[in-house]
Amino acid sequence: MAEQVIPTKKMPPGLQVENVDDRIMTLNVGPQHPGSGHMRIIVKIDGDYIVDADPDPGYVHRGEEKMAESRNYITNIPHLERPVIHDSCNILYPYVLGVEDLVGIEVPERAKYVRVIAAELNRCIYIQYWLAIYGIFLGHSTMFMWPAGDRELLIDLMEKITGARVTHAYFIPGGVRNDVPANFEDVCLRQVNYFEKRIKEYADIFYDNPILKARTEDTGVLSREDAIRLGTTGSVLRASGVDYDLRIKEPYDVYDELDVHTNVLKAGDSYARSKIPWLDMLESCNIIRQALEKMPKSGSIRTKLKPNPKGREDEVYRRVESGRGSAGCHIISRGKPEPYRLKLSVSSFRNLIALPYLLKGEKLGNMPAVYWSLNYWPVEADR
Amino acid sequence: MLKELVTPQNANVFVGKLGDILYKAVDQPLGMAINWGRMWSLWPVHIETACCSVEFGAASSPRYDVERFGIIEAFGSLRQCDLVVVQGTITRKMAPRLRLVYDQMPEPKYVIAMGACAITGGLYFDSYNVLPGIDGILPVDVYVPGCPPRPETLIQGCMLLQEKIKRMKAR
Repeated sequence: MAEQVIPTKKMPPGLQVENVDDRIMTLNVGPQHPGSGHMRIIVKIDGDYIVDADPDPGYVHRGEEKMAESRNYITNIPHLERPVIHDSCNILYPYVLGVEDLVGIEVPERAKYVRVIAAELNRCIYIQYWLAIYGIFLGHSTMFMWPAGDRELLIDLMEKITGARVTHAYFIPGGVRNDVPANFEDVCLRQVNYFEKRIKEYADIFYDNPILKARTEDTGVLSREDAIRLGTTGSVLRASGVDYDLRIKEPYDVYDELDVHTNVLKAGDSYARSKIPWLDMLESCNIIRQALEKMPKSGSIRTKLKPNPKGREDEVYRRVESGRGSAGCHIISRGKPEPYRLKLSVSSFRNLIALPYLLKGEKLGNMPAVYWSLNYWPVEADR
Repeated sequence: MLKELVTPQNANVFVGKLGDILYKAVDQPLGMAINWGRMWSLWPVHIETACCSVEFGAASSPRYDVERFGIIEAFGSLRQCDLVVVQGTITRKMAPRLRLVYDQMPEPKYVIAMGACAITGGLYFDSYNVLPGIDGILPVDVYVPGCPPRPETLIQGCMLLQEKIKRMKAR
């Protein structure tokens, strides 16, 4: 057979057409695809079955870690929350905890509770967006409209507290940026109760839907051993039957004073992975209610820092449970106002590692359901 | 006589001239109608380049409902689209792909630069992997500022684009 003719026009690197086998076809999915996210998956398919999948992240690599080295500890805050703008409190949390360790300041009790409430609200906002896109991926338009609409309730609430819709930059070393509004407790309780009532209805329209079950059950099964071996975190790990939640295992701030439960499912398929975040949201509502009850009604919300605070010569690693899994931040300080090296260890990238293993042997039509069920946000993975 | 003038060699020229004459005759009266059609059915490409896509998603959510302005949330092919909303940061890896997507779209096509990153590089002005604005690779029609812009701002940007299309010469 003659050699395969490759288009002569010079294409950008990575876009060349590969030699095609008699049986195996290479298919480029993305970076422009009708789901969400600038993500390219190079899949090799045999008929309708995926033989090999190779995710190609890095389309939004913006060099956050390098940039952090030339900015001081306070001016680092706005750009470090940009990887996950709709989960900005949780992605900032490990950085703020780390800087507090380095600079050596105590956080007021009230600020700790406000942080927990803000982080849990943000987790709900994140998961609602994730769920909306999951609906899109499965062609379930109602499941885009419902979470995207209900999400606005909590965004309103966060806007009242922080002044911004999504990029809050609310957590700063030493506490939070500004105090909550006057009647915050009542408004928050009312909103959260209504929100909980709303999300319980998702079970009827989405999770008990036989079409969804048919599409997601027994697809992309990740066994308990593989989940641990591949280093997945968060909802993916818990959907495979591993009870691991940093809010319980390594409690930070006031999580040890609150009654936190984790949700664990044993199946490890796409359905379980899509259900765990929803259960997490219900749990978040419980945590917010507890925190509102226990929160000191008055007091300081921030310990004042010196301008341009210097960290001591040390290195710290702190991690928290974000909406996607454990988000960590490793800071090396050399006694300067800027970090010497900053490393974000993000859960999206760890969960992505499992994707090639999950896709092998799946049908091509199941790829979106498996891909997005990994609780993955491309911008975070690329940093 | 026509048979002598039109030879197989220059047939294309005559057809082209005829087209031009027809175009001129039709353009003036129909231009407004064509523009009216274009401005109320803008199909954006579903390309999400960075985090501004969260607010783009929110703009098509029930509260903001961008569809009432004729901006349709697209799930279709590139060949049907006529609007690129560049949602945020363009990195060196993404830039050739964005241009490729733009080149594949049929004329007429419009570009909205959404967010500070797409306009000037924004927060990442000193990053080694981020383009300082997309002007270098795409002709931008409307700039929507913000980091990220609120959905209202995006909708206002779309309305500005519609205003622009309305006053454009239909080609």
